[in-house]
Amino acid sequence: MSAANSILDVRLIRRIHAGLTVDVTLRLGTEIGVLFGPSGSGKTSILRLITGLSRPDQGYVRLGETMLFDATRGIDEPLRLRRIGMIFQDDLLFPHLNVAANIRFGLRGASRAERQSRLAEIAALCGVEHLLDRRPSTLSGGERQRVGLARTLAPRPRILLCDEPVSALDLPNRQTLIERLRAVQNSEGIPVLYVTHSPAEAVTVGTRLFLLERGRVLAEGPPLDVLASIRGPSFNHLEDLRNTLPARVESQLPGQTATLLRLENGPSLIVPYLEAEPGTPVVVQVRAEDILLARGPISGLSAQNLIPGKVERVITRGPEAEALIRTGDVTWIVSLVAPAVEQLALSPSQDVHMIIKARSCHVAPGSPPRAEH
Amino acid sequence: MADLGPLWLSVRVATAATALIVLVGVPGALFLARLKFPGKGLVSGLLILPLVLPPTVLGYLLLQVLGRRTWLGGWLDQGLGVVLVFHWSGAVVASAIAAFPLFLLPTRGAFEAVDPALEDVARLLGRGEFSVFWAVTLPLAWRGLAAGTVLAFARALGDFGATMMVAGNIPGLTQTASLAIYDAVQAGDPARAGRLTLWISIVSIGALWLVQRTLPVRGSGH
Repeated sequence: MSAANSILDVRLIRRIHAGLTVDVTLRLGTEIGVLFGPSGSGKTSILRLITGLSRPDQGYVRLGETMLFDATRGIDEPLRLRRIGMIFQDDLLFPHLNVAANIRFGLRGASRAERQSRLAEIAALCGVEHLLDRRPSTLSGGERQRVGLARTLAPRPRILLCDEPVSALDLPNRQTLIERLRAVQNSEGIPVLYVTHSPAEAVTVGTRLFLLERGRVLAEGPPLDVLASIRGPSFNHLEDLRNTLPARVESQLPGQTATLLRLENGPSLIVPYLEAEPGTPVVVQVRAEDILLARGPISGLSAQNLIPGKVERVITRGPEAEALIRTGDVTWIVSLVAPAVEQLALSPSQDVHMIIKARSCHVAPGSPPRAEH
Repeated sequence: MADLGPLWLSVRVATAATALIVLVGVPGALFLARLKFPGKGLVSGLLILPLVLPPTVLGYLLLQVLGRRTWLGGWLDQGLGVVLVFHWSGAVVASAIAAFPLFLLPTRGAFEAVDPALEDVARLLGRGEFSVFWAVTLPLAWRGLAAGTVLAFARALGDFGATMMVAGNIPGLTQTASLAIYDAVQAGDPARAGRLTLWISIVSIGALWLVQRTLPVRGSGH
């Protein structure tokens, strides 16, 4: 993303505490960007620095043509003039106001007719038009987050920042909110910066991924490209992300005890029960360290998945090793300790079996957007 | 009804004192709830001192500060023409200071219970500080504020020691109901003491009842 066609353009430097200094440059156009990193990597701090809830030591925040903050020129727009929308992990609805008054809160200064028409428009977009007379305390978690989204968008912010907005929601509600978010991004035509520590969301929510670690951007780009760039034992701490595989729901096992998935051009996989129709696109993630390797087929295991494959490559670095195992078109990354490589005498094109517990498969609805070239 | 004069004076003094308390106490409580500054513990301690000091001691100290021969009292007299000592306005100041902690404590607690993140949300939605206070902080802290107001009013209405030390006990001028009851008992007039006692109790309990009735169940809606 070049500076010219980006809408959000920030350079932020701030010492948060002794162990964490945020030092990032982010540029984002009219798209959904995802800030992904482990807790303590500075994700929320970055959002707070952009909004003005905290102040960068150095750097600048530019939004469109407007400079909101510039340390060297002494520019620091007050919060209320920045027109930045933010939704939070807790919905933070005003408990003393009903849904309609919550949504109208940011519309002061508009005429009564304008307020009513914007309220109707945004309530429909966020799917809360039937809730307008209700008090926040009577709403479900998913409803509250959608009301929060409507309230944030009503005054037409120039950018939307989302701080782990679905982490308190169950799976169907997560999917609903993320779909609403995509629809809103599309119709309002604004950049969205989405913070998450969930590897599944990191690859399914947006079109641009910023991989964050200790306050710095480690890699950035289309999600699948970023995933491709993080292979190798030096990224072992990101094992959550390393086997991220697109799949579809094939069938439900009898009694809805588990769900059978089919990986794209790859094997099938039994995962914990997922409430979804056959054909639903999903993303499966299996940590590289959660996969066992066996030389031959083994019986009498509780693990649900015994998948035959071929060793493609073995990379050893000191005490740690990583085997790339191919099944169909899918390459799996398996992390091992070096002695295991010797004991199994792993070498390229050798036949092995991967043992994967259903419980080790983390499934999220959605499909990772393809890289645009 | 002539002998209800002290009652009207009491109501007038307590109402003025309560207004004074709210005027100073709301920003004070908000500062203590939201800001951190060195010496904050000392300041909050000083502000609730009137609660632990004997009222006569409080009144004596006020007299030392506000008397016409003191620096502050002299300035008020010469500069503004205000004389508090032996005047009903002195009773207002004395009872306001005696009752101040009873307003400050619940109000500060109520402000502290309002999630500052909600105030940040209001700012992000384009509201200035004044609007944030009126639209978010105040409606959410309303119950604590109302409780503090009633407590302070009741305490100001019944003040005896501090009022007598500063304003004196001048019938028709600074003799509030509490002082009149004491006088009536001293003068062997239990009927008058009883009437005043009854009325002042009705006013206090009435104020409490009124606030409890008008208090919405959860803040105020639109």
